[in-house]
Amino acid sequence: MKVRLPLLLVLITGIFGALPFLIPHHVIQTADNEFRNSVLVIIGAFSLVLGVGSIIRHHMDKVRRKREHWGYSWVLLISLLITSIIGLFGGIDGNGSLPTHIGNFHFDIQTIFIRMEVPLGATMFSILAFFMSSAAYRSFKARSFEATLLLLTAFIVMFGSVPLSAYLIPKLPHFAEWILTVPSTAAKRGMGFGIALGGLATSLKIILGIERGWLGGTK
Amino acid sequence: MTHNPWIWVSAILTLGIFSFLYKENPFYRVCEHLFIGISNGYSITFVWHRVLMPTLINPVAHGEKLWLILIAIIGAFYFMYFIPQISWLVRIPIAIVLGYGAGASIPRGIDAAIVQQLRATIITRSTFLSVYNGIWSIVILFGVIATISYFFFSRERKGILKPLSYTGIVFIMIGFGASFGYTVMARVSLLIGRLTFLLRDWLGIIH
Amino acid sequence: MSIWEKLTKIDRRYIYLMLLLVVMIPIIVPFKLHPKPMPPVENLFNAIDAIPPEKALVISVDYSPDTEPELHPMTYALLRHAFARHKKVGILCISLLGLGLAQDALSTVTNEFNSVATTHADSIINGRDYVFWGWQTMPLVPILGMGENIAKVFPVDYYGNKTDTLPMMKKIKNYNNVALLVSIAGGESPFWYITYAQTSFGVRIGVGSTAVMATDFYPYINSGQVTGMMSGMKGGAEYEELVLTKLGIKGRRKATEAMSSQTAAHLWIMLTIVLGNIGYFALRRRKK
Repeated sequence: MKVRLPLLLVLITGIFGALPFLIPHHVIQTADNEFRNSVLVIIGAFSLVLGVGSIIRHHMDKVRRKREHWGYSWVLLISLLITSIIGLFGGIDGNGSLPTHIGNFHFDIQTIFIRMEVPLGATMFSILAFFMSSAAYRSFKARSFEATLLLLTAFIVMFGSVPLSAYLIPKLPHFAEWILTVPSTAAKRGMGFGIALGGLATSLKIILGIERGWLGGTK
Repeated sequence: MTHNPWIWVSAILTLGIFSFLYKENPFYRVCEHLFIGISNGYSITFVWHRVLMPTLINPVAHGEKLWLILIAIIGAFYFMYFIPQISWLVRIPIAIVLGYGAGASIPRGIDAAIVQQLRATIITRSTFLSVYNGIWSIVILFGVIATISYFFFSRERKGILKPLSYTGIVFIMIGFGASFGYTVMARVSLLIGRLTFLLRDWLGIIH
Repeated sequence: MSIWEKLTKIDRRYIYLMLLLVVMIPIIVPFKLHPKPMPPVENLFNAIDAIPPEKALVISVDYSPDTEPELHPMTYALLRHAFARHKKVGILCISLLGLGLAQDALSTVTNEFNSVATTHADSIINGRDYVFWGWQTMPLVPILGMGENIAKVFPVDYYGNKTDTLPMMKKIKNYNNVALLVSIAGGESPFWYITYAQTSFGVRIGVGSTAVMATDFYPYINSGQVTGMMSGMKGGAEYEELVLTKLGIKGRRKATEAMSSQTAAHLWIMLTIVLGNIGYFALRRRKK
């Protein structure tokens, strides 16, 4: 029951997922649309429970057991709670039952997102520029013919993609574009076939119950 | 320098994340935890207001589509993940979503990623309507075959397979080189974005 | 320590500091550079220009704050182009965190147009000229569902209005009424649109991609599955250039502004790699 029922469900929904593409009959199309717009939407919405719940449980546990850096877990839990309250009761456009401004100072969900979430997320990824430049300096060496080829291509694409190159060497941006549209395309397409076949095989294994990793154990 | 308190908040958070470049520190950790907290709170807001309310709660409250209650119960099985005795029930909503996704991807994936891509690789008479197009199409065809041959591990690399797979490496290196060049561009772009914010919106050095 | 050894062992803090300066100085003192649009960007521009009045452009804002500096200028540029040419625009998000960014771009660009509009017809009005459908759980739901009925996928729009009551939605029912769908993505969502929307409903796909992902889409441009593409900030700057030169729209062009720093940073990174290699080869020669 614990294993067979999910495996049976994955087989049925798997076949059901493929059918509308293969059989364009309106009965199947209508059933497929209803399934997606109602069943998948609602189940998908509840899946948030898994993510948010896991985070809350992990940090509550950290606070309870006073593990290393447990104080920061309070920051997470409190910010999650405050943002949720503002969003749920203040409304998306700030017209909910909870006031989201004091005078000209607005603290609605959109303002919090643009003024806090965006700078945090964008900066977190921007610091990769520093690590990448340091790593490129340290490890990007022309040790062999293949490495030299990689290096040269990177240089052409790097320089060819900034406007200055068009002023200094007018043909360079076009050459960089040619690299992307011809040899790089050939390599990416060759690898793409392998990736696509691998993905299809995995999908088939999931539907047929051969791939069971998603069950999280067989008990 | 700006007097807008929200710009100050954004700038302080930006500096907090940048402080990681020196070393991991409490300022950075606070910012990191804030980031996760806010993004989850934001997600809860939209899932409630724009998904559950119009799709489930409003129709059921008006007595329409009462069968959605059953779907909601299946969705609620996600909560069972936190109750070890019946945690296996979480497999049911996962099976429905995963099965449908896998099934939907098979015929469409074959068409989009294999059939259409093969069609674009095959050379026909129309390929040579332009001379350059014809030449580059031959290069692409050759490059695709060479790249695939590099990943062909079922036979020892000798005879024609040896030079072919080596040519494959050449194409792959060019591909990776191009990717690296573009990766540099991507990472630098993000940095420029944040520094422009600090210098322009916060400090007001540039206009 | 010899000079060659020093060249291979520059402290990472100096590398960081130099990169910071190299990026910062051109922001303060920029040099004027006009990006030259490449064919994939021109193709995208022309495809949007050719959208007939009865059909819509759909923009899928599929990025989150982590790629905002790179991709947000593309959304601005596309919206400016579409609104200047009076194209109908539908906006959705595959990424939940894209919602706030899409709303930010929409409010900024509509304000730009409405602040200079003299008549009601000139103004950009929600529901008439554009609809922000919002976000729906699971990417497959909107991508496949919009082929049948957009209003059923998004019963209410981002602002909470009933979608099927909006004037624009009387004519824009599903992919049959969509001339082009542009996915501006920090991840793989353009592939999903190609795999699901294009194979099932034949909708044309345009891409706005991060530079990291851009090379993966070139095989799809070659096969004709992707109509046109903007790659990274460079692609955004090229599109901004087209919007400026062909339409005369003068909003803030964030991607073009960034090109001075982008140029300096690329040159600096190339220089550090060359220095590292000089040191490496000099040491290797000595050892021999």
